[in-house]
Amino acid sequence: MAAIRSVSRRQILKGAVAITSAGLADLPLGAAAQSKGKIVVGTWGGDYARLLNKNIEQPILIRDGWEVIQDQAGDPERRSKMLAERRLPRGTTDIQGLSALNMFQMHDVGVIDAIDYGKLRNAPNLLPSMKYPYGVGHIYSGKVGVYNPRLIDPAPKSYKEIFDPKRGDKLGIIDIQYQYTLVCAALAAGGKVDDLEPGKKLLLECKKAGARIYPTNEAFAQGLKTEEFGTGVMWKARVVQWQNASISVEAIVPAEGALAYVSGFVIPKNAPSKAGSYAYLDAMLEKGAQEAFAIDMGYNPTVTNAVVAPELNKRIGFTPEEVKALVDLDYAYMTRNDVTLKEWWDKELKG
Amino acid sequence: MVGQGAERLSRERAARRLANEARGGSLLMASTLLAPATLMVALGLVLPILILLRYSFNKFDPRLMMVEAVTLENYVKFFTDPFYTNVFWTTLRVALLCTLVCLVLAMPLAYVLARSESRYKNVLLMLVVLPLFVGNAVRAAGWMTLFGSKGALNAALLEVGAIKVPLQIMFTEKAVVIGVIAVNLPYMVLTLQSVIEGIPRQTEEAAFSLGAGPWTMSRRILWPLALPGIVAGVILCFILAMNAYATPVLLGGPQFKMMGPLVFGQFRLNNWPFGAAVAFVLMTATLVLTGAANLLVQHRYRRGRSP
Repeated sequence: MAAIRSVSRRQILKGAVAITSAGLADLPLGAAAQSKGKIVVGTWGGDYARLLNKNIEQPILIRDGWEVIQDQAGDPERRSKMLAERRLPRGTTDIQGLSALNMFQMHDVGVIDAIDYGKLRNAPNLLPSMKYPYGVGHIYSGKVGVYNPRLIDPAPKSYKEIFDPKRGDKLGIIDIQYQYTLVCAALAAGGKVDDLEPGKKLLLECKKAGARIYPTNEAFAQGLKTEEFGTGVMWKARVVQWQNASISVEAIVPAEGALAYVSGFVIPKNAPSKAGSYAYLDAMLEKGAQEAFAIDMGYNPTVTNAVVAPELNKRIGFTPEEVKALVDLDYAYMTRNDVTLKEWWDKELKG
Repeated sequence: MVGQGAERLSRERAARRLANEARGGSLLMASTLLAPATLMVALGLVLPILILLRYSFNKFDPRLMMVEAVTLENYVKFFTDPFYTNVFWTTLRVALLCTLVCLVLAMPLAYVLARSESRYKNVLLMLVVLPLFVGNAVRAAGWMTLFGSKGALNAALLEVGAIKVPLQIMFTEKAVVIGVIAVNLPYMVLTLQSVIEGIPRQTEEAAFSLGAGPWTMSRRILWPLALPGIVAGVILCFILAMNAYATPVLLGGPQFKMMGPLVFGQFRLNNWPFGAAVAFVLMTATLVLTGAANLLVQHRYRRGRSP
């Protein structure tokens, strides 16, 4: 009580002056923060959103004076939103995170801008395969073969050996990965990325031989752990996470070339702040941000100047030959046939 | 007798009307009180449902997703493809089975709770409500660890030598039925318990004193008096089971299909028109069936009460 009583009017005034001046001192910074404007970024929620904030937004953009707002939702919802907004002169997002397949789809319907790589300071470092005319690759991984060495010996070398009906009862398949699984099976059966019929046939044979279908990546991991099956296909980044969770699993890069998964960003044509869009693209290609994503998420950097520790690179990375051999989906084919493929998957394979 | 009764009824009605008018503007008052809720329902439920209905007549295009049109092709696709009609029948079968089992399991428990004079009654009620504190998905996760091929149940049975190979419960209809029953049972128990509590104990005692056994009393006194509550509980349970999502997805696995997950799947594929049509089939079927059950019971109830 005595302490409170001893505070004099003069002291209070001094305090008030101090607070005001501190506020004034802050003002230029605050004004700067507003001067650059706002970037609205459409992204998946969860870890990816958190890491965008931690590795790109906070250390680069927000420090630089941008205000960044995340519009978190699954990609089907965000794609629908982009389509619904296509006629508006001003959309609601400046940049959207999508998989390469969905980036193509949005380009195909004409709702996104062509990327002007001249505006990106970090463009010269970008891997050529990640320079889409309509979007920029942010991270990538490959669909590798996974196997439990306790159950599968010798190790499989190719998609063909993984999708071998002879040991179909040792195969696990992930339901939500239907697109990539179909393409992997097609490659295994000697088909092409735009001809999945041989893959369908092979999958049915594996199913008949006892292959198990798991609803999600997590359920697949659980099945792998309890040794309900011994082999399958999955992103290399995920395998690292499973190994960290002490699941007995190894990854192989298939002889056919691993199917690539690329996640990137696109700019809606009616983005309110194009300057913000490009600032975001540049920030996500920064060396530090790319390195942090490799560590935090296990996906590979898309810029050549990012340094990944050799130990980590062994687990998440691909050799230059393997990178060269990466196989891309046929985006146009997949876009046109997605619903039919899913119906086949649900009715014929799962039915 | 009948004439007198009707006269009394009309007199009562007139008196009530007069009393209402005397209070002044009660009709206005009522509408003011009803307006906010009505507005909320209209804006938050009816309007979106109408928009969804409109979507269900649109066409799907893999590139453009939804194209404006007026076509019945989504509904035709649903009703002509055995895959989708099978999903519908599975949903109906699971919902009816779960509702029936819930009713059978809940009735004795609800009766004991309602008639209990124990000082722990509130604790018992809390125990019934307790599972509702946990979300459906979390509860399903619990079942997964129990039902898995190396889960607690199989491990225990293998250990005691009751089985040689693990039981396959996960990813079957059995698992879904068990999961849905576990989710819906508290709703049924609580509904029945509150209704049974409202039935005077004396009516049962009167039956017993007239020589009825417990079974006759249940059938002739308890069941008819509790019927409105039973209908409410059954409808609640049935609607919840028809629209179940988390339980069929997590416990039924990829090969098991119910309508809720099917609707979601179509929206994930961005096939809004077909998703909307499936949603409407589900909604209409649920409404028609619950409406029909309600009418049937009301009819019987009225007939049962008439002298």
